[in-house]
Amino acid sequence: MDVMQYNFNVEKDDFDRAGEASSNIKKILRQLGIDAAIIRRIAIATYEAEINIVIHSLGGEIDLEVDPSSIKIIARDKGPGIANIELAMQAGYSTASDKVREMGFGAGMGLPNMKKCSDKFEVESELGKGTTISMIMFI
Amino acid sequence: MKAGEGVDNKYFHSVVLQEDRCIGCTSCLKVCPTEAIRLRDGKARIIGEKCIDCGECIRICPNHAKNAITDKLSVLEKFKYKIAIPSMVLYGQFASKVTINAMLSALKNIGFDEIYEANIGTEIITQVTREKLLKEGNIERPLINSSCPAILRLIQIRFPDLLPNIIDIETPIEITARIAKTEAAKKTGLDISEIGVVFISPCTARVTSIRNPLGIEKSYIDAAISMKEIYGIILRNLNSTTEEIITKSTRESMEWPITGGQSKALGIENYIAVDGINEVIKVLEEIETGRLEGLEFFEGLACDGGCIGGPLTIENPYIAKTMMRSLAKDLPMAQISDEEMKAHIKMYEDNYIRITEPIEPRAIMKLDKDIAISMKKMEMMNEILKYLPGLDCGVCGAPTCRAFAEDIVKGENQKSICIVKTMENFKKKKV
Repeated sequence: MDVMQYNFNVEKDDFDRAGEASSNIKKILRQLGIDAAIIRRIAIATYEAEINIVIHSLGGEIDLEVDPSSIKIIARDKGPGIANIELAMQAGYSTASDKVREMGFGAGMGLPNMKKCSDKFEVESELGKGTTISMIMFI
Repeated sequence: MKAGEGVDNKYFHSVVLQEDRCIGCTSCLKVCPTEAIRLRDGKARIIGEKCIDCGECIRICPNHAKNAITDKLSVLEKFKYKIAIPSMVLYGQFASKVTINAMLSALKNIGFDEIYEANIGTEIITQVTREKLLKEGNIERPLINSSCPAILRLIQIRFPDLLPNIIDIETPIEITARIAKTEAAKKTGLDISEIGVVFISPCTARVTSIRNPLGIEKSYIDAAISMKEIYGIILRNLNSTTEEIITKSTRESMEWPITGGQSKALGIENYIAVDGINEVIKVLEEIETGRLEGLEFFEGLACDGGCIGGPLTIENPYIAKTMMRSLAKDLPMAQISDEEMKAHIKMYEDNYIRITEPIEPRAIMKLDKDIAISMKKMEMMNEILKYLPGLDCGVCGAPTCRAFAEDIVKGENQKSICIVKTMENFKKKKV
């Protein structure tokens, strides 16, 4: 076996379970013996991606793929898509509602933080359809 | 039980099992935050490598089968000059009319030459943290308190990437012990080895840390006596002892063993104070995910209420807290001169009160050293998990189905079986 795959469902507006996928991913990686610093970067990036799905989309999923040299996280959602990726990549830019901001989310650091944490980072988005974020971290 | 299961002190633990009292129920399995307990042959076994001595199992055991190895009073015979350092938690254990001086006199009367109070240490830590560590950026933020040994061991196992956030100052008791011993040696002319420092402990993890220190080479504390065990003697002595004026405690120091007390003493606003090992785990998870950015200080204490909720205390932590508060209001505020402050910072710079040995991560969670093998083992684990009922009943001896699968994959469980699954299969066969 060369690649290990896991899949986690993330539901829209489910703040109760928000963070569960990233927490599970962290546990898996720790059992695999991945370096603590890498786990931390992945934890931060995955959490941001998960919260994004909860807040902005109609629901989605997170895939975890591990091979002995790298870890890949794919966060896929159905939803409005990102109108301007370049703008969304700017620190502080956010389309989150006041209600969401009051809950302490939507600071506009999501995508920039994810990028900062990954070795390879890609966003694909189609308006009215959804967004897919792929992140690779080398072990 | 065989403490730590070993000859050497590597996995010495104060928390042990009294086998004759254990009936093999699953209470302790469930509460252990590091999944360090398994039932084998009907008795609870502590996995030395995983235990952080938090004492949760001692608290929960309905049969009082979990206990702590502490020193007996006879340990005093080993020393010419005997010093007691009671944890400040002691002050919350008596009826409201008993003064601190009466408690300390009664303790001294047991056979100690001198009493040193732990506030010597708490005040030094507060000052050095406030005036040096918080002002300089050498340690990662949020700073994490070093005072709770169970939390330190938890971080080693579950949050190794937060190890650089731990304040590199020794604990109040250790600092007090160093100062007490140095002063006593000067005063009596005795050799350090002839002076015994005995800690009166509310804490199982601290007992372990004295024998098996974390962050320093050797502890200056020679023995730890359980507060529970010495309580009765102090109580009896209260009536027969003439009260001496001993205490130098201050109002701030009285809050130290209570959750939030350390943060409050620092006089900062951007802190978070958490107690109870499971809540500590949750908040550390949040810190690890980067959600509490800008936080300056994290105060984490394994026991509910803080050290006043320690497994070796007598009084209910809420009652103890009220007692401490009422005693505190008659105490003076801490006064510190510029010279004293400079001296304390110098103690830190000279490594006298500092954590000098690295606190290493302990990756006991991983399945194998080799990632590729770990992956294979995890695949196997997932296969096994598919056949398990997922009830986490604990009857097999592991706390969860996942832990059961993990033990099999790691080769640590060849014997026990899943009874729920066996019963299901049995029923199917009959039909």
